[in-house]
Amino acid sequence: MYLVDITADLNDEDETGYVWTFLDEARDPARISPGALVVAGDEEAAAVCQVVDLRPAGDGTIVHLRLLPGLVDDYRALVERAVG
Amino acid sequence: MPGDRIEQRPKLRAERPPASTTLVIRGGRDTPEKLRSHALRTARAWSLDGQPLLGISVFAVLDEPLADLLGRRFATFRTVYLPTVGRLDAYGFELLPTAQRPHFTVRLRSADDQELGRLLEALGAPGPNPAYPRRYG
Repeated sequence: MYLVDITADLNDEDETGYVWTFLDEARDPARISPGALVVAGDEEAAAVCQVVDLRPAGDGTIVHLRLLPGLVDDYRALVERAVG
Repeated sequence: MPGDRIEQRPKLRAERPPASTTLVIRGGRDTPEKLRSHALRTARAWSLDGQPLLGISVFAVLDEPLADLLGRRFATFRTVYLPTVGRLDAYGFELLPTAQRPHFTVRLRSADDQELGRLLEALGAPGPNPAYPRRYG
């Protein structure tokens, strides 16, 4: 089970080729800024992503996310190796 | 500052519909609640012919082998749905060529329980994703 920074359907893409979701689906919208690394998805399917940009659309703000390679667990293992 | 919904009609790709035997991929394990949430998200952002577009995302297996597409785009999903275009069509779902090839949006007429239940039936049973790394069990 994952506790994501921002809920998204990782299947979703738009014409940019990036995953997208709405800023108001973030646990802490202040963390969602271009360049930030976040965990996106839902409790069952999540991925580490980089925030690309934020754009107004519909009744909110769309966040574009670049899917980074690897699993969330890979990043956890990486951090554990790095910090001991 | 909020803006208008993004009209998809002029953005639809000009391409022939995929053959009925073409597989489409949807990653994850869906429930009616998840599908409703995803469809409503799409309708918040996108419109088609001026109306909110209810839909969910899938990818068609068109230009690269299934295994390559799964590995390139779906490796974070433990399970995937792999219905055919013909199966979705048989359940009455239209595929819109949205975003970049091979992405499509499965268009829904509503987000009620009946429609979402039909969509789940059309997707079929999820299967294990062979591209999901089993490093962590």
